[in-house]
Amino acid sequence: MAIAGALPHDLEPVAGAPMSYWRTVGWRLAHDRMTLVAGTALTLIVLSAVLAPWLAPFDPDAGSIRLRLAPVGAPAHLLGTDEQGRDMLSRLLWGGRMTLVAALTPVLVGLGLGTGLGVLAGYVGGLTNTLVMRTMDIFYAFPAVLLAIAISGALGPGLANTLIALSIVFVPRVVRVAESATVQVKGLEYIAAARASGSGVGPILRHHLLANVLGPILVFASTQVSLSIILAAGLSFLGLGVTPPAAEWGLMLNTLRQSIYVNAVVPALPGLAIFVTSMAFNLLADGLRDAMEIRS
Amino acid sequence: MRRLAILTLATVLTLSLTGAAFAQGTLRIGMTASDIPYTGGQTDNGFEGFRFVGYQIYEPLIAWDLSRGDRLAPLVPGLAESWEVRKDQPTKWVFKLRKGVTFHDGSPFNADAVVFSYESIKKKDAPHFDPYGSGQVSFRLASLTGIAKIDDHTVEFETNKPTSFVPYQICYMVIVSPAQWQKVKDWRKFAEQPSGTGPYRVTRFVPRERLELEANKTYWDAKRRPKIDKLVLLPMPEPTTRLAALRSGQVDWIEVPPPDSIPQLKGAGFQIVMNSYPHNWTHTLRLDKEPWSNKLVRKAANYAVDRVGICKNLLNDTCIPATGIVYKSHPWFGKPKEVYEYNPTKAKELLRQAGFDGGKHPAKAVHLISTSGSGQMLPLAMNELIQKNLKEVGIDVDLQPVEWNTLLTRWRAGFKTPDNEGLNAWNISWNFLEPWSGFGRFFHSKSVVPVSVNTMPYINPEADKLIDEAERTFDIARQNEILAKLHEVIVDDAPWIFVVHDLNPRALSGKVKGFVQPQSWFVDLTAVTVR
Amino acid sequence: MWAYAGRRLLLAVPTLLGASIIVFAMVHLAPGDPIAAVMPAESSQAEIEATKRAYGFDKPLPVQYLVWLGRVVRGDLGRSIATRRPVILDVRDSLANSLVLALSSSAVSFGLGIGLGLLAAFRQGRALDKVASAVAIVGVSVPHYWAGIILIIVFSVQLNWLPAMGAADGGGPLEYLRHMALPTVALSLIPLGVITRVVRSAALDILNQEFVLALRARGLAARRVFTHVVTNAAPQIFTVLGLQFGFQLGGSVLVEAVFSWPGTGYLLNLAIFQRDIPVLQGVILVLATFFVLLNLGVDLLQTLVDPRIARH
Repeated sequence: MAIAGALPHDLEPVAGAPMSYWRTVGWRLAHDRMTLVAGTALTLIVLSAVLAPWLAPFDPDAGSIRLRLAPVGAPAHLLGTDEQGRDMLSRLLWGGRMTLVAALTPVLVGLGLGTGLGVLAGYVGGLTNTLVMRTMDIFYAFPAVLLAIAISGALGPGLANTLIALSIVFVPRVVRVAESATVQVKGLEYIAAARASGSGVGPILRHHLLANVLGPILVFASTQVSLSIILAAGLSFLGLGVTPPAAEWGLMLNTLRQSIYVNAVVPALPGLAIFVTSMAFNLLADGLRDAMEIRS
Repeated sequence: MRRLAILTLATVLTLSLTGAAFAQGTLRIGMTASDIPYTGGQTDNGFEGFRFVGYQIYEPLIAWDLSRGDRLAPLVPGLAESWEVRKDQPTKWVFKLRKGVTFHDGSPFNADAVVFSYESIKKKDAPHFDPYGSGQVSFRLASLTGIAKIDDHTVEFETNKPTSFVPYQICYMVIVSPAQWQKVKDWRKFAEQPSGTGPYRVTRFVPRERLELEANKTYWDAKRRPKIDKLVLLPMPEPTTRLAALRSGQVDWIEVPPPDSIPQLKGAGFQIVMNSYPHNWTHTLRLDKEPWSNKLVRKAANYAVDRVGICKNLLNDTCIPATGIVYKSHPWFGKPKEVYEYNPTKAKELLRQAGFDGGKHPAKAVHLISTSGSGQMLPLAMNELIQKNLKEVGIDVDLQPVEWNTLLTRWRAGFKTPDNEGLNAWNISWNFLEPWSGFGRFFHSKSVVPVSVNTMPYINPEADKLIDEAERTFDIARQNEILAKLHEVIVDDAPWIFVVHDLNPRALSGKVKGFVQPQSWFVDLTAVTVR
Repeated sequence: MWAYAGRRLLLAVPTLLGASIIVFAMVHLAPGDPIAAVMPAESSQAEIEATKRAYGFDKPLPVQYLVWLGRVVRGDLGRSIATRRPVILDVRDSLANSLVLALSSSAVSFGLGIGLGLLAAFRQGRALDKVASAVAIVGVSVPHYWAGIILIIVFSVQLNWLPAMGAADGGGPLEYLRHMALPTVALSLIPLGVITRVVRSAALDILNQEFVLALRARGLAARRVFTHVVTNAAPQIFTVLGLQFGFQLGGSVLVEAVFSWPGTGYLLNLAIFQRDIPVLQGVILVLATFFVLLNLGVDLLQTLVDPRIARH
C-alpha cells in the first residue's frame, strides 16, 4: 500500500520551545505505556540472547538421556528438559540468539538494499524506475510465506540460505515503500525549489529526501521484524532453516512436536518465545508509528 | 401389518448384512512414506513400498514366509511351485510356475506374464519397459541377464555367472498382468488401475492421500485369503501425525510410533509389537585415512559406545545392541572373537596402544549424519550420545547433519570427492536381507565405488574369498556357515561402528487381532482381523 | 477504466514471465540431484544417471526452461517424478483443498475482523476497543503453526473432540467440517489480526473527519453514520481483504504441514523434500499466477469503487 500523509506534522509544542522532530518522537515513545512495556520486554529478550553464554545454566547442546522431557519446574531445570534431556532454559536463551540473528539480518539487509534501490528508482525515475520496480513486482507476485519457503526449499536447509531467502522477501517490500515515499517527497515544493535553484543532487538527497523518506521506511521495516521472526522460525520448523542440533526456537518447536503426548507444556515453550518476541516487536513498531505520526 | 413385517424383515436383513460386512472389518494403516508407494508393480519407497503395496497387490515367484515370528523369515514358493539351477549349466535356473492362478483382471498367470514382467524391468527397448519401476528394482536383479519361456508354465532365467544368490534376487521381482497393461498401454494408467495376483486388489487410488484395497476373494491360496475385507493405506511421514491419527481413531495401525509415546500408548490400551529383523544402524568408517585407518582405534570406538543405554533410555527398548553386522540369533552371526560391550576402560587402553592420546595426538574425525530418514531412527539424538561416548574415551567426533537425501547422494559418490574429502564416516542404516545386501556390496574389493558401494574401502582378500565361496555354494546350510565365518572376520576388523538393530516397532489399536510380527521387513496382512 | 484495466492486464504478462524464470531458476540452480530422492538408497551412480537422462534432466538449463515454458503455455505442467501423474492434476486437486480451507478461514477472519474492527472504532477507547486491539496484536504476532500445535494439544490430544490431521474422506459433511475446524482457526488468526486493525483504523479516520463528528454531535441517526463510514472505508478494506485472501491461499504451507491438510502448501512441502522438480515448479507458478490475478482483481475492484485511483 502506498504511504499516505507520510510527512510529520503537528509536532507537540512542549514548554514553549519547539523541539526537533526526532526529540519529539523520542519524547512520545518514552511516554507511551504500551511502548515502554514492549521496549522493556524486548530489551530483556535481546539482553538474554546476547548474554546467553553467561546466563544459561547449562550447555545448550549437552543433555542426559536419563533426564528427558522433564516437566517445567523440575529440580535444576526450571523450564524442564527437551526430548534429548537438554536444559530448556539454556536452549531457549541460546535459541533466541539464533532466531534473532535469522530474523533481524534479513530486515536489515532489506532496509539497506531496499532503501538504496527505492530511493534511486524514485529519484531518478524514468527507465531506471521502470526497470527496478518491474523487477520488484515479479517478487511481489509471490506471497511472502510462499516465496520464503520456495527459496529455502530450493536452496536447502542452513542459516545462510534462510538469510538469503528472507532477504529476498524483504528487499522488494522496502523498495516499494522507499520508492513511493521518494516520489512523494520529490514532488514537494521545497525540494523542487532546491532542484530549481541549482543545488547539487547530493546535498538535496542528503538533506531533504533521506530525512523525510527514512521515517516511513523505518516504521515499515519495524513492522516487518515480527513477520521475519515468524518466517525465520517457520522455516526451521519445516526443517528448511537452521539445522540441528543448533538451538533455534522454530527448530525446537519442530523436534519437540513429537513429544506433545508425553509432555504438553514443554513443547509449547519455544512457540511462546516466538510469540512474545514477535508481539513485542509489533507493539514497538506501533509505538514508533504513532510517535512518528506515519500511517501505514 | 404385512408391510410393517416386510419392513422389519428388510431392516433386520440389511442390519445383519452390514453387520456381517462390518465384522470382516477395515484395516487402516498410517505408513511412514511421504507418498503412496508406486502401485505399477516394481514399487518405490524402499522396503515399506514392498511391505504394503508391492507384496500385497502383487507377488514374486519366490516369496517370504511371514507367518511366524520365532525365526528369520525364510523364502518359500510364491508364484513358482519349484525352482532349481541346472546341473549342466549353473548359470541357468528353471522355474516351474503355479497353475490356475489368475490376475485381478481375470487373465491367467503364466510364463508370458513372467517374461513380460522381466522385460518391463530389463529390456530398455521393449514397448512395455517401465523406466521408473526399473530404476527402483533393477539393481536388486543385477545377476539376471535373460529369460526364456520353456512352456506355458516353465521359464528359464540366465545369470552372468554361476551364483547361488538368484532366489534372493527373484524375490524382489513382482509379476504384473500383461493383459491389464495391454488395455491401458501406459505405466501411469496401469498404476491407477493395477492388476496383480496378490491377496489384495486396488479399489480406489487418491494420489498422495490414500490407497484403498479390498480382499481378493479368489486368491489362489485359500489359507491366505484375507480375513478383513478392506485395507486402507495412508502416507503419514510425520511421527506426530501418525500418533495423533492413531489416538483419535483415524487409523488402526501406525508404523514406528515415536519411542517416547510407547508407555502412554500401552497405558491407553494400544498394542506395541516388535521383533528383530535384518536392520543395522551403524557408522561406516573411512579406512584409508586417520584415525579410522587404525584397527585398534576402530575397536576402541566399538567398545566406547553405550548401546544398552541408547536402547533403554532413548529408544524405550525399540532396539537391541549391535555387536556386528547381524544380530546374535541370526544364522550368519557365528562366533566373533570380539564382543563389543560398553567398556570405556578397554577403549581407552586400545586407543593408547594405537598411539593416540588426548593431548599431543588426539583422534579426530568428521562424521556425516542425517537429520531424519527412513530406517535412521532418531539420528540426531542417537549420534549426540555416541559423540559423547566417544569423547569420554578421547575420540573427538564432529557431527555434520545434512538432509537424508543429501546424505545418500554424497555417500553414493564415495569419500573421494571434493565435498566429502574432509569426512571420516557416514551414518546410514542398512538391511541385510540377503548376502549381497549384507556383505557383498560393502565388503568385496570388486564393490569399491563407483561399481557398487564399498565406500570405506574395505579390501580384505580373505573376505573376498569367503564372499565368492558363499556365492558359489548352492546348499543354504553350508552357505550360512561360510557367511558366519565371513561375519567373524568382519567383526574383528571393525570397519564400522556397530550400534543397534532396530526392532521395527508398530502400534496397533486394541481392535486389531491376529497379527504376527515376523523377523522381516515385510508383513503378512491376511490373518489380521479388525473387530 | 477499461483502458486502465487493459494496461494492468498487459503489465501482468511480464510479471508472470519473470515469475516463471524465477521459479525455474530457483528450483534448478539449487544443489542436489533432481531424482536422487525417488531412487532407492542402494542404487548406484550409473543407474541414477540413466534415470536422469530418461527425464531430460541432462539437457542444458535454458533448453529445459524453454521446453517447460512451451508446455506450460499449453497448460501442461509436466509429470511428477514421484507419482508420474500430470502435475496439473496434483495441483488442481490440492488447489481445490486449499481453496476450501482459504474460503472457510476467510469467512471466519473477514466476518470477525470486520465486525470487531467496526465495533472497536465506534466504541473507541472503551473495553470493547481494548479487546479488539488485543485480538489484533495477538493475531498479527502469533506464529500460526505454533497455534495449530496448541489447538491439536487441546482439542485432539487432551479433549479428543476433533481430528488432528487430514481432510475427511467420506463420513458426510459433518465429518468434513470436523476435520476443517482446527486448520481453519489456525489459518484465520493472522488475517483476523490484520483485518481488525485495518478496519478499525480506516473506520476511525472517517469517524474523526470533522463533518462526521459534526453529524454525530447533531445526533444524526447512528445508522446513517454507520453507512457513511462503511461505504467510505470500503476501498481500503477491499484491498486488505484481497491481500489476506491471497495470504490464506498461498501462505498456508505451515498450517497445512501441521495438520497434514492435502492442499497446495502440503504438496509444496512434499515436493521440496522429495525434490520433485516438476511439482515444485508447477505449484509455485500456479500460486504466483493466482496471486497476481488476485491483486489485479482487487486493484480493478478498487478502481471501480474509487475511480480517482486509476488517474494516478
